[in-house]
Parts: sequence; structure tokens; C-alpha cells
Amino acid sequence: MNTFFKADEPLQRVDGKMKVTGAAKYAAEYVLPDCRYAVLVTSSIAKGRIKSLDTKAASNAPGVIAVISYLNAIRPPGYAADNEHPTEPATGGQPHRVFYDNKVYFNGQPIAMVVADTFERATYAAHLVKAQYIVEEHLTDLNKNLDKGVLPASAKKNPKSPLADYDRGVVDGYKTAPVKLEMEYEHPAEMHNPMELQAIVAHWETDDKLTLYDKVQGTQPTQQNFAKEWKLPPENVKVIAPFVGGAFGNALHNWPHETAAIIAAKMIKKPVKLMLTREQMFFMVGYRPGTFQRIGIGANRDGKLVGISHFSIGQTSSYEEFTESVLQQTRMMYTAPNVSTRYRILPMDVSTPIWMRGPGEATGAFALESALDEIAYELNIDPLELRIINHTDQDPERNMPWSTKYLKECFKLGAEAIGWNKRPLKAGTLSDGPWKIGYGMAVGTFGANRRSAKVRAKLFANGSLLLQSAVTDIGPGTGTAMVGIATDAIGIPADQITFQLGNSEFPVAGNQGGSSTVNSVGSAVLAVCDVLKQKLLEMANQNMPEFKSATLEQVTFSNGGLQLKGGSAKTTIGDLMKKSGSADLDLIEEAKPGPEAAKYSKYSYSVHFVEVRVHSITGRIQVTKAVTCADAGKIINMKTAGNQMIGGVTGGIGMALTEDAVMDHRFGRYMTKDLADYHVPVHADVPHIEVRFVDKPDYIVDPMGTKGIGEIAIIGVAPAIANAIFNATGKRIRQLPITPDKLI
Amino acid sequence: MEKENATPNPRRDFLKKSSLITAVALTPTAAIKAADNQLDERIAQAIENVPCSIEINGTKHTMKIDPRITLLDLLRERLHLTGTKKGCDYGQCGACTVHVDGQRVNSCLTLAVMNDGKKVTTIEGLANGSELHPMQAAFIKHDGFQCGYCTPGQIMSAVACIREGHADNEGEIREFMSGNICRCGAYPNIVAAIQEVKKGGKNI
Amino acid sequence: MKQFQYIRSVSQKAAISAITQEPKAKFVAGGTNLLDLMKRHVMTPERLVDINKLPLRDIKEENKGLHIGALALNSTVAEHATIVKKFPLLAEALNAGASAQLRNMATVGGNLMQRTRCPYFYDTTTPCNKREPGTGCSALNGFNRMHAIFGATPHCIAVNPSDMNVALIALDASVQVSGPKGDRIIKMQDFHRLPGDQPEKDTILDKNELITAVTIPASTLTHNHYLKVRDRNSYAFALVSVAAGLNLDGKTIKVARLAMGGVAHKPWRLTAAEQSLQGKQVSIEAFQQAADIAMQGAKGYGHNDFKLKLAPNTIVEALKIASRI
Repeated sequence: MNTFFKADEPLQRVDGKMKVTGAAKYAAEYVLPDCRYAVLVTSSIAKGRIKSLDTKAASNAPGVIAVISYLNAIRPPGYAADNEHPTEPATGGQPHRVFYDNKVYFNGQPIAMVVADTFERATYAAHLVKAQYIVEEHLTDLNKNLDKGVLPASAKKNPKSPLADYDRGVVDGYKTAPVKLEMEYEHPAEMHNPMELQAIVAHWETDDKLTLYDKVQGTQPTQQNFAKEWKLPPENVKVIAPFVGGAFGNALHNWPHETAAIIAAKMIKKPVKLMLTREQMFFMVGYRPGTFQRIGIGANRDGKLVGISHFSIGQTSSYEEFTESVLQQTRMMYTAPNVSTRYRILPMDVSTPIWMRGPGEATGAFALESALDEIAYELNIDPLELRIINHTDQDPERNMPWSTKYLKECFKLGAEAIGWNKRPLKAGTLSDGPWKIGYGMAVGTFGANRRSAKVRAKLFANGSLLLQSAVTDIGPGTGTAMVGIATDAIGIPADQITFQLGNSEFPVAGNQGGSSTVNSVGSAVLAVCDVLKQKLLEMANQNMPEFKSATLEQVTFSNGGLQLKGGSAKTTIGDLMKKSGSADLDLIEEAKPGPEAAKYSKYSYSVHFVEVRVHSITGRIQVTKAVTCADAGKIINMKTAGNQMIGGVTGGIGMALTEDAVMDHRFGRYMTKDLADYHVPVHADVPHIEVRFVDKPDYIVDPMGTKGIGEIAIIGVAPAIANAIFNATGKRIRQLPITPDKLI
Repeated sequence: MEKENATPNPRRDFLKKSSLITAVALTPTAAIKAADNQLDERIAQAIENVPCSIEINGTKHTMKIDPRITLLDLLRERLHLTGTKKGCDYGQCGACTVHVDGQRVNSCLTLAVMNDGKKVTTIEGLANGSELHPMQAAFIKHDGFQCGYCTPGQIMSAVACIREGHADNEGEIREFMSGNICRCGAYPNIVAAIQEVKKGGKNI
Repeated sequence: MKQFQYIRSVSQKAAISAITQEPKAKFVAGGTNLLDLMKRHVMTPERLVDINKLPLRDIKEENKGLHIGALALNSTVAEHATIVKKFPLLAEALNAGASAQLRNMATVGGNLMQRTRCPYFYDTTTPCNKREPGTGCSALNGFNRMHAIFGATPHCIAVNPSDMNVALIALDASVQVSGPKGDRIIKMQDFHRLPGDQPEKDTILDKNELITAVTIPASTLTHNHYLKVRDRNSYAFALVSVAAGLNLDGKTIKVARLAMGGVAHKPWRLTAAEQSLQGKQVSIEAFQQAADIAMQGAKGYGHNDFKLKLAPNTIVEALKIASRI
């Protein structure tokens, strides 16, 4: 097997210099000649119809080129028609069709768009568009309508769907346990709020050729979506996104503003730039759905779980079904013989949610891992010990072996680093003056996913290597990881390797999401390097007498060359290619998961430990220490991987303590809709965070042995913090975010 | 109130007022007529635009611009200095941080015309030619970013934080860097980068 | 943003004249709040009079008190050696507000004129009496977590968002203004107003008046603390804040100054609580009693009910930290 990346000397980010000098270009930063500015006008009601739209003042405002709405917008030929059988609700629904008709489905919905010669003029004129509505009664309050939840369409169709009702053992078997608890947990809608505002420059190069500079997590999925929407061959749609200023899931979907910009560019026959405002980011580009959960948990006095019943209901829109995997961890993490899960969604008059980092799993883990902690106190067992007692060596949901599982090693690493032995057994007993101190931990897990992917390699006669993939990098350092994999595989120095990404014309890659990029694209990098090595060896066999009969096993690829093992014969790749009279090598290789993988349950694991201080008088909360441990398979780059873990903990601090998208249900409108009112963690909220990786490969998942990091970094952080707060104060808060008012 | 049948024209109202006080050799009626008939955009703009001169990264820019343009949009949309980022446009994230006369400010909350006669340094003007500024180098070394979008603002802010004398310890750095949000959550690495530059003791 | 005329003033006289000519004119200095509000069309001035070139930036000691020019930056004031030494409450309050960047832009005069952060005031699609008189108060029965517990009326329950104002009122500051009718001095206590039935008016300043300076009398406070409780550890508006200043002679309180932020339409001076502390020995009991007195007449509106407990807790804690007991 390959011995992968030298963790002690991680590569610095290959695009670091571009990012620190301002040279990295994000979607809105492409300068196209004759580009015009589009600004959206949004609805101020949550449900109804537009009665009239007054666009006269806007049309007359200086610099305005067009005011576009359902009244005059050209209609993308691929817009799906309304459901033909209105009595049968659509299964799954469809994305919102911007400017399609006068219906309003959610507050903040784009209802018109002004295109002008400058941003200032477009923005001003957008304020002059006035709408009158026929208002209909809206439904936006999840907590008041918990009984109205429905089973997702996919679960209705397929009882084996992971979203379908699940029972292992006796239904609600937890009730038979000697120690049992029933709790309800809630969290509000949370907004991804990447620092880069959603932006697009749409350019029709010809009547049927579209180029998009767009903030997306997948160039090719976006290409396919818009090719379908505009009934174009996919190759006529080009999507460029080499830099993406964060996304955390909100660019896994294409949204109304993208189609709006494309419509505008088509109508005015010029490139159009559209950047959402921060407020608009709260209304139309997805969010983590507000979710209500109920857990029943029962255990024997010795800590062995008897059963868990877990119910979850989350919000979705009225026009498009959104689901996420909230209950997976409950089904597979612990040995409990009786497990029941029920997943429901509630369509409301809101926009469609979208997966937000650690998506449903982070939601479910908040309830499950809080419940574990609660019953641990009830049993008077250390919560870490309780998890070890209920540890399972095979997947109890699918009755399959794990590919790898080093969760217990994570427990050990983390407990040592945080000083778990300092944790008081009894809550509310450790303090420093007015500050109460507590420790908490929780577990996270996420599927180690892999998709097929292709990578192109161009090996030049000077020995440098160019790799290309359509994949994007929203921040984890994809290019850096890929260069790391390639340099390790083929021995060309990292500074001689370029990895180009973020272009739909490059070879196949899916969305950057679900912690699957390195597993998928990295495997293709490895595959293409393997072929290159074979070709180079053949050249050496033919052109260099010393290598005449050498096999791959007998040759080392390092320092940009080939060397016979145990011999002195060597050559640089450049020399070899010149000697062979070889042209540049140019090839594309595909890598996909093999059949072996299907025989295993494959997951990444994380364990988060935190120390908190809670001020007993003012309720101020400070996370003072965090240790995050991961079994994420082999780590390709300790520096960027560690950074992802730190970022996940930071996101988890936000989820636990600060983030709250508050909706005023009288208007069906968010009231905390900028970064002053919707609090994401700032520097002062985030302590030093220690990262520990088990760093053991899982070759079932992929040939590098990686499993994925992005999601597990946040899954379990919120309950670890909630558990620490309980340990500090004796107050169990089951409603996120945990703000000072809840602790005084 | 406009009459029911009159076409609303905000520019007309604006010009009517403006031309009364602007030193343009044009009667108010002529200005309005020009705007109404869209005869001469230049005449209208002569009234609407305001002269200003700003030195940006050592280069003096003398312009007549719409006074509504923020310094941020001037940099990004007019001068194509897109290293300065728009993250919120309301002074709530710090991505647009630049130095004006040496002080860190949010370029989204200052009109370009208010910076007449001032010196602006953006991320593009921080490095010394191809040699990175020590803070830029430290950000790379400590991996003080992920997506890179908040990074120029973090770096401009970090340089100022040290110059202001607010980088003596981790706690102080965190407090005085809290105006720069990093949603990827690279905060601890950013703090490490700032500490290293501070400890390096170089005059930055 | 709506189009506006932009005028750079080079003299106080020209500035006042420029603002007087146009009924919808506004002064702009730092612009950190005004531009924010203009971008959202909450404020739509037709003329901006840029006063940044006026010579109003000086900070100097005057009769052991302090004169701070209206255009002095928040950061300059917070870092000023005399202020840090003799008026630490003001320095602490300023540093508790906004971010380093914003403090480098915002002026003392602008901070005094800062408008509420009520989300309904900011959202032009919702009714708000402060923004559009007569439309109603959306916060009264809405999302009012950040809102007032003192002095509110059914017309408006918004709070003044400034930290600086809380320190200034505790320090008995005055505001010097200049207008077409001449100069006047307004006591900080009178400068901001309660909403009554005219919540559109934040202060008693006339539209054409220019703030020229803030003055603070000599301070005898020996023990000070500004304590701000917020939803994250920095860069957030106060849930509740307390400026506590004491003159201690041994353990005896000779003078007490207390003011709160985040609880009313204006910075909220706690005069009765101050009086209750006068002459007492420092003790948690005395502080608790003062807090109880301070809370008389407080009223919650739902989401902000927690302030009825958080506010007195914060008073006690601020006094505790100030007096170092």
C-alpha cells in the first residue's frame, strides 16, 4: 500500500499567496466589458399574489436599462410547468421559478429586478419599485404546527429510505428500562452566512452559449442545472468558480438570483453582475432548517442502553421538499437493542432550506448527544464512560462491519488533552470566583462518502505537471490536498505541480459537499498519477538501458525523477521525456468506488471536548478550551485538515451559543437578518483549539485511506458545549442558542 | 405628491433642487429639460457628480464621481482593486477593511468623496513589490484562512492592530480583531500569525 | 441610496448655513450609522453636509474637566492618556462598543446621534413609529429581546444603542451645540429623550444645530467599571450595560454614579440608586439594595423580560468589580 503524506511537513496552501495579496478572484470580481448591474426587489409578504407592480419611477431613474419582473421577463424554456394534477401534491416539488408568475411563496422572494449602468443607480431604482399584494394567510411557525408534519416523498415511495420510519427491536423499547428520560430539543433556523455574498456574473457569449462566473460548490452540477433550465446542450454552459468565499452548503443548490441574472443578461444582451445584499442572503439561499426533536432514552443501571426513540421535524418550503439525515447517528452509534426513529418535515411559506455544514447529522447529534449526557448524570456514570459502555464494533443498523472505526482512540486522545479527569462529577460544583467551570464532550459521525471523479493530467517536457478537475474549493484547501497527493504519488516536487479547478470544462467532479472531495477527486489524482508512472516507466524501459527490464516495484519516483531501487541509475522526468522524444503527456483518468466498499459501513468520527466558564451573575458564556479529535482516516495535510477542524468547532460555538435567525411570524419575515443581529462567532468567542487526529488509513473508502473531515468537524460540537454548560451550572438548556438570559 | 397622471421622475426632482445650488452654467429649467429628454447625460452628470482626489496605494486618482459611491465600491467596481471584499456592506464584518491615512476603517461605510485628499492603502498595496508583507507571510505560515474572502480585511486589520499597540497578548488580539469575522473559523491561526509578527518585533 | 447633494463644509458657519437651507439635510461625520441607514432607505436625506474638515477634533483638559471636540474619533478618545487615567469609564465604554475599525471612523458627535438598532426601525417593510410616525410599533408585540424596560410607551420601545452615552451620562457630561440662533449647552441628562408620543425624535437637538463638543466636569470617582453583557463576547450591542463609578473613602461610598445602557430610549441614569449608596459601606447588600431601587418601574415586553433580572444583576456585578470587593 502507499504510504501517504508526510504529516510532519505539511504543504502550505498552494493558493495562499493569491489569497493574502488580494489576487484571488471571486465571482463578482470578473471584469467583463459592458457589464451591467442587477439588483433584486423582494417581496414583503410571505404568501399571496402580486396585485400590481409599479415600475414607472424605477424605469425613469437615471441609468436604468431595464426593470424586469413576471410581467415582462423572458421565461427560461426549461421551467417546469405547474403541477398538472393540482389535487395530487407534487412529490419533491421544484426549485422556485423566479419571475414565473405573480405568486409569492415566501417573504423576501425576488419579485422584480432593476438593471442599470452602475451599482448605485440600480440599487436606488430597486427601491422605487412598489408592489401591491393580495395577501393570503401564511404558515411559518414550526413550533406551533408540530402535528402537521409529513413523511418525505422519498420515504413514502420507498420504505427502506433512510428517511422512512425505522424500528429496531421493540417500538419505544426505552420505556421498559429501569432508568428512562424523555426530552425535547429545539434549534432555530441558522444561516450559512459565508463571508462572500452570493454573486454571479452572467454572460451570453452568443444566443445559445452561456458563461457564468458564479459562487457555487459544483461547477458541473450548476452547468447541468442551467443547461436544463435553458434547454441548452451542457457544453454550451460554462461555469467558472476557481475561488469560492465560503459556502458551508448554501451553494449546493442553484438559487433564484442566478436565474434572474441569466434572464437579465439575455434580455439586455450584455453581461450582468448580481450580488445579493447580506439581508437577501437570509431569504433566498437556504439555511439550516429550524428543527424540533423529541428523544426517549432508557438504560439499565450499569449504563447499557435499552432503547432510544428519536423524533425529528424540520421545516421545508411549500414548493420544494428539503430533507436531511437527522437520525442516522441515533440508529448506528450505540448498541441499544431497541431503536425507533421518525423523521417528518413541515412544508411552510418559507424559502427552501439547504444542507448547512454537518447538515442533519449536526442537528440530530445535538439531541442525541445531549440525551446521552442527561442519562449519564441520571445513572451517575461518567458520560465518556457511558459511550464506551455502549460502543459497538459493528453497524447495528445495517449489520455490517465498519470499514474502520477508531472512536475509542479519539476518546483517549481528547480526554488526555482536555484534562477530563478534572471534570467534576457533580454539576455546578467547580468555580473560580463568580465563574462556574464545566467540561463537556460529545460524539459526531458522518458517512465516509466517495463518488466517481475524473482528473486530467498534463505532464510537460520540463517535468512539471498540470492537473485539472471541475471540482471547487470553498475553503478546505482542495488544490493543496491534491498537489500533496500527487507529489507523494509521483515524486514531482509540489512546486512543479499545478492543480487547476473551478471550471466546468475540466474533467468530471461533483459538488464540493458531504466531506467527499478528497475521497473522490483525490482517488482520481492518484489514478492518473499511476498511469503517468506506468507510461514513464515504459519510456525508461525503452530508452534507458539501465531501466530496460525494470518494473514499477523496482523504481522509486522522487525529486522529479525515477531511480532504480538499490541502484544508482536515475533520470529526471524531463530528461527522460526528452530522451524518449516524447511529446507532453495528456490523459484523463477516472476513479470510482469499487464493489468491496459496499460490504462495509463507512463513517468518519469526531469527539469534541470543551471547557466552559459561565458567569453566575450575568450569564456570560466563554468557551475557554476546546479539544477536537477525529478519526477521519489518513490525513493528507495536517495543517489544512487541522484548520477545518478548528473551523468546525467555531461553527459549533455559533450553533450552540449565538446563532438565531428569528422570524416574526406576523410577517413571516426574519428580523435578525444582518451580521449585527445574527451573531456568528467573532475572534473573542473562540479559544485556542487543539486538534488531534488518529491518522490511520481506511483503504475501504479510497486508496489514500481518507474518510472526510468537513462535516464531523462541527457535528457534536453544540451538544459538547451544552453538556459543559450543564456541568458548570447544573442548568440543562435544550433550546439553542444558549444565550446569557437562559443562564441567569 | 405627484399628480396621478404625471410620470414619476426622481432625477427631475433632484436636478431641480441641485441646479439651484450648483455652479453649473445652466438654468434649472435647462437641466431638467436635459434630463427629461435624456438629451445629454453629461449635463446631468455634471450636476450629480462630485470631484475628488484620493491617493490609493501610492497612485493619485482624480475623479468626478457619484457621491453615493462608497470607498469600497470605488475600489472594487471603478478601480478593479477587488482585493478589498464586500461581506456585508453595513460595517458588520470587516472584510472591507483598508487603511485611510494609516488607520484601519470599514471602506463600506465611508463615501469615496469623504476621503478627498486622503491616502488609502489596500491589500494590493501592502506587499513590497513581490516581497510579501510579514503579516501576509505569517498568515500563509499559520494557515490563517480557508476560503480567503475575509483574509485581506483580516490582514489589514491585523497590521493596524499591531501598529495601534493592541497585540500584546492573545486576549487583547482577540478583542481588537473582533471586527473581522471569519466564517470558516480560522481565528486561532489568525491570532497565531499576529502573535508571530508582533514577536518578530519588526516595524511593520 | 437616494441621490443627495454632497457639500463639503470648511467652516462651522458654512455648515450651519448649508444645513439650514435644505429641510432634508443631514450632517455627516464618520457616517458609520447614517450611511448604514441611507443604504437601507431608513434615512433619505437630500443633502449631506460633510463636516469632517471643521476644526472640532481637539481633546483638552479644562478646569480639571475635559473638553472633547465633536469630531474626535471614538478610538482617539478611548486611547487618550488623560481620559484613560482620569475618566476610565468613558474609555472602557468606548472600547466596549463596535469594532476597532468603526471606532476609527465614528466621532463623539455622531455617537451621540446614533439611532436605535431596533430591527423594525431598520426594516422598511414593517410598521415603525420612529421611522414612519403613525404606523405603529412592531416591537411592542413582536421580537423585542433587545428592547426597553424603562420609559417606553406604546408608541416605541426601542433603546439607545450607544455605550459612550452611558458613560457620559454617568459622568455628568454636557453637549455644546451651535445653531443658526446661537450656541447652547445641553446637559447629557436632557440631550436624549424618552419616546413619548414622538419616537421619531431621539434627542432635543434642533435639526439645524451642530454638536461642537462634549464637556465633562472634573471627576472625583476613584473606582470605576463599565460592564456590558451581550450575546457574544465582542462586537455586539448590549443586552444590558452598566457604568458604575464610586468615590470611596476606605469602605465608605462618598459619591456614586450609576447609569445603564440597553434599557431605555436614552442612556438611563440611576439617580435614586446612587442616592441609596451615598454614605454606605461597600457591600453586596448595599449594591443589591441599590439595584432593587434602580429597577423600580421596570417593565418587560415578553422577549426582554430577562432584563428585569439581568439588569439588577449587572448593576450589582459592576459595582462589585468597581469597588473590588
